[in-house]
Amino acid sequence: MATLSTTEATEHAQSPKPVRKFRLASWAPVAILLLLCAIIALINPNFLSFGNLVRISQAAMIPLVLGLGATFIILMGSIDLSVEGVLTLSAVMLSMLVLNGANVNDYGLLAVLFVLAAGAAVGFVNGVVHVRLKVPSFMTTLGVWFIGVGVANALLGGMAIRVNDPWVRGLAIERFLGFPWGVWLAGACLVVALVIQNHTRLGRHIYALGGGEELAALSGISVARVRILAFTLAGIFYAVGGILAAAQLGLGNAQIGNGRLFTTVTAVVVGGTALSGGQGGVLQTLVGVLIVVVLANGMVLMGVPPSIQIGVQGLMIIAAVAMSIDRKLMRIVK
Amino acid sequence: MNGRLDGLSAERLRQWLPLATLVVLVVLVGTLQPVFLQPATLLQLASDTAVLFILATGVTFVIMLGGIDLSIQSMASLASVVVALTVARLGYGAFALAIVIGLAAGFLSGLAHVRLKIPSFIATLATGGVLYSAALVISGERSITLADAERSYQSWITGTLFGVPGVIVIGLVVLVGAHVLQSHTRFGRYSSAIGAGEPAAYASGVKVGRQKIIAFVLSGGFAAVAGVVLAGRLASGSPTLAAELLLPSIAAVVVGGTAITGGVGSIWRTLVGALIISVVRIGMTFLGVNIFAQNIVFGILLVAAVAITIDRSKIPIVK
Repeated sequence: MATLSTTEATEHAQSPKPVRKFRLASWAPVAILLLLCAIIALINPNFLSFGNLVRISQAAMIPLVLGLGATFIILMGSIDLSVEGVLTLSAVMLSMLVLNGANVNDYGLLAVLFVLAAGAAVGFVNGVVHVRLKVPSFMTTLGVWFIGVGVANALLGGMAIRVNDPWVRGLAIERFLGFPWGVWLAGACLVVALVIQNHTRLGRHIYALGGGEELAALSGISVARVRILAFTLAGIFYAVGGILAAAQLGLGNAQIGNGRLFTTVTAVVVGGTALSGGQGGVLQTLVGVLIVVVLANGMVLMGVPPSIQIGVQGLMIIAAVAMSIDRKLMRIVK
Repeated sequence: MNGRLDGLSAERLRQWLPLATLVVLVVLVGTLQPVFLQPATLLQLASDTAVLFILATGVTFVIMLGGIDLSIQSMASLASVVVALTVARLGYGAFALAIVIGLAAGFLSGLAHVRLKIPSFIATLATGGVLYSAALVISGERSITLADAERSYQSWITGTLFGVPGVIVIGLVVLVGAHVLQSHTRFGRYSSAIGAGEPAAYASGVKVGRQKIIAFVLSGGFAAVAGVVLAGRLASGSPTLAAELLLPSIAAVVVGGTAITGGVGSIWRTLVGALIISVVRIGMTFLGVNIFAQNIVFGILLVAAVAITIDRSKIPIVK
């Protein structure tokens, strides 16, 4: 283990910006996306119609926001399985706090802020338990996943709550330049994530941790702080995903998160962000999300049942991870 | 010296804590609800624990090696669908078919993990998706109820043997089989060695990859057995039949005292862990906690148990 980390560390020291280095492999996802678009457009020209592009953007907005959060975690070499838990909890809390069909609450924007804070809080708990109790992230977040869904269930008691707030519903219904406001919101999240990744200390430290944690710690980075902050940040993104999901479905229920973790992880790894950490980024995740969504859209256009898509995504995860892992650095895989 | 003593007592505490917890829980629930301690209720408890225990047994083999299998609930559900679809045509062969599919799926998970060097949690997350997808497709996305004629094939699960419910007998067979595999075979000893220190095991000539694949094959096989039993008990098969069982199964293994870092653990501990989970569930039902909200408790239990049992010296960097 010790030798392993040292090789990682030296590797990192020799090339301080492995992310920015031009590599043919890093363009593979883009090429796959373009190829995919070309093939589907040839089979069904409707694919390129404006209406279908809007449909794709609508299908991509939630996976993108979730993927942005997960990217920061995976960049550190960790994993976050609590996506569905945080999303479900946020969507349910939002549906209970804004104008809704079940109670007299009507907190509007205040409710949105509260939900974002709740997402941050769950992410913070993820980070603190993971760092302070030294529990590997996949176990911590596996627990928090089910705790989140459990709390959402307890809040609902088996009901579904209709969202009547015009602003929240407007995210899915009202359009600007032809695209729903939710898509613009997801775009704004992308910009925020890009700025955090490229222009803040947190972003640089996340890369440093993923590249080699021991070196990062030796160079004075507070590893614990960066990890907790990254999980908190991810929690906020998942909460935005929850708000968008509640807006899109028009209600909050305990099943709203089902299958989202799978799509999120697929998108991030297919985009080219390595599970071992330090490689990839937010823009790669955008490409990954588009690959997943375009493929799903194409399969719908070709009449493939949606149930097969989950299986295809599973195979995509295996293929993408198998291709992206730098095996020279990994002798023990667990 | 003092530190070593502390270490020893902490180790001993860790070893006996699960059993002590189980006893305390049983006494506690028994005091609150005296019906609980009657033989009929205890037999019911054992029957209800069987499926969870079989699932947890399979994943114990993988966790012993320091890996994880997140596909067991999908495999169990797929097995239930296979049984429900084929039992009319194949009779008892349907059970064999389901179990063979489980072994094959485990083998593929193992190959993806070992040959492609994909971390086990992500490899099995992916294969779990593939299995779920397969179950959805072959079942036509619906739940299949067994016809009366088909239910006669389930009597070995739903019936009794000398007054003992069939599921308990199956659970005991699994317990004995898994115990023999773990304590009296080369595979079992190699697993412990790999879990305790993979580089050392590798250096002393253990075929690490092969042992890992065997562990995943066992995990898939046992998950299929659990699915078969579940289909028998519920007289139906569905692609989401076992969906709620992943967390309790992993929690059972960890709560029993098997460390997710590998090397430490046994099937007996998993039995104790599975019983703890069942007693906690019954206790919560007595208290009127919603079945879905019970996941809150299992989630907390899981993280707490991992935090207690994990061997931090093995993971200098916790990711």
